Amino acid sequence: MDSFWGNIFRNRESEEDSLYAILKRIPIFRSLKNREVRAVERILHQRDYQPGEIVFQQGNPGVGMYIIHSGNVEVIFEPTGQVLAELSDGEFFGELGLIDESPRSATVVAKSDCKLFGFFQSDLRDLIDRNPRLGVKIVMQLVSTIGERLKRSNEQVQELRSELYVLNQKEHTTELSDG
Amino acid sequence: MDKVVNRWIRIIFYGVLLIVVLSILAQISDLVQLLIISALLAYVLDPVVSRMEGRGMSRTVATVLLFMVSGFMASVFAVFSMPVISSEFVDMREGFDPEKTRLLLAKIDTFIRNELSFLGLQDLSLTGSMAQTFIDYGKALFQNLRSVVSVFSSLIITPFVVFFLLKDGRQIKKGLISLVPNRYFEFFLNLIYKMDQQLGNYLRGQFLDAFIIGVLSTIALLLLDVKYALLIGTFAGFANLIPYIGPLCGAAVAVLVSLLETGDLLQVVYIALAFGIVQLIDNVFVQPNVVAKTVNLSPLVVLFVVIIGGRFFGVLGMLLSVPVTGILKVLFQEWQQTSQQYHLRYTPEASAAGQLVAARAGQQDQSDIHYIGTRRAGSN
Repeated sequence: MDSFWGNIFRNRESEEDSLYAILKRIPIFRSLKNREVRAVERILHQRDYQPGEIVFQQGNPGVGMYIIHSGNVEVIFEPTGQVLAELSDGEFFGELGLIDESPRSATVVAKSDCKLFGFFQSDLRDLIDRNPRLGVKIVMQLVSTIGERLKRSNEQVQELRSELYVLNQKEHTTELSDG
Repeated sequence: MDKVVNRWIRIIFYGVLLIVVLSILAQISDLVQLLIISALLAYVLDPVVSRMEGRGMSRTVATVLLFMVSGFMASVFAVFSMPVISSEFVDMREGFDPEKTRLLLAKIDTFIRNELSFLGLQDLSLTGSMAQTFIDYGKALFQNLRSVVSVFSSLIITPFVVFFLLKDGRQIKKGLISLVPNRYFEFFLNLIYKMDQQLGNYLRGQFLDAFIIGVLSTIALLLLDVKYALLIGTFAGFANLIPYIGPLCGAAVAVLVSLLETGDLLQVVYIALAFGIVQLIDNVFVQPNVVAKTVNLSPLVVLFVVIIGGRFFGVLGMLLSVPVTGILKVLFQEWQQTSQQYHLRYTPEASAAGQLVAARAGQQDQSDIHYIGTRRAGSN
């Protein structure tokens, strides 16, 4: 009997520990204390997906982010079906949905059996009301993550502009030499 | 043609299902009322517990503390006000002063016979028939009010249910959300969040408005020295939950009591004026600041739901019918708005991602066939 209950609790504990470890690796939760991570764990929604199942669809309003506990998902750009990224255990997506309800910029599909944990805007707002200190910590980290991503996007835009400028220059030189 | 027939079959099926559910609910109306009252109270008190949680308390401690404070306040209220209210209640139930009632009805009788003789009501005997009917009706009304939900079960079960709804409400909600299929999950999450906001504002506004009107009416009646002021004021507050009809009912009860007790027509004018001023304050100052404007119900709808509520659940049903209809209206509005935002008719099969997945699944099937085929070939 003991071993039966022991097995059940061990599995549960190991699952909770692995979720805890995953949360600690995510930038948004990295600066949280152990007690605070446990508080976040309690408000997450566990969702299980089968291969091919759509997690969310491009154009629908964002409601929050997902953390991959196990499995793989693909981020797909709708009009073309182009696969933008493949994400696996410990990675997260959809974090812009925590800020506002702007439409999702891509569709996410489960590639294998997936266990995801959803962290949603409504729960974040509720958390800010109940525990403003923890809420502000998460929001600051979220802003920092999004800011980092924006900086990277700006750098990429700059690089692309430079490349475009070089290409234009080359084309202009060729035209002159042909002329 | 088949589609139209199927649609009608579906409509009839849902209609029958609705009737069955309603009749089951009507059969267990006491329990339904208790649950509705508990849920409404839990909804109104939830922000208080959440705010206490924000100050570092656990949900359980916050709920217990709120119950202790509420219990203390209820005890204080019971010690000071309940004897007054219950004695007012008993006085009222015993029937109004039969002598004064008879005199008033006699006055009306004479007035109709002399001044309104053209109506041909000379044989009218209000004093005899109406007095008895009225007194019996008064008794029956208050007996019904008491028997709607027995005092014992309300006092024990309601706080118990409210406590658990407050303490475990979040887990219950999370558990219910986990049952939603993946395909509709985000849609439902969004819907529930918006409904939650709207409903919270609506219900808290309604209760606060009723409380303010109750207090103002009681003060006005006390100033006018009307008997049973506390009881009528409390009734006027609750009646205010019903728009259009409620305020009239509150004023009508006060006027009736005053007429039967004193027969002073000048006081009736003062009472009507006082209720008019209370309604003015309500419309100009209280409602615009307290009650959510999104849940405006038309007078016709209010009339219908009050009749239906009264028919199925008695006096309490009449009081609860408007907030419940408000809740249903908010649910419907939010469902419509959220549906417009989501592409519910946009099947995953029609999206590029869905097609990609389907194509992959097809390839995998083919490769399986190919694999099985080659193995068979190899084995041969």
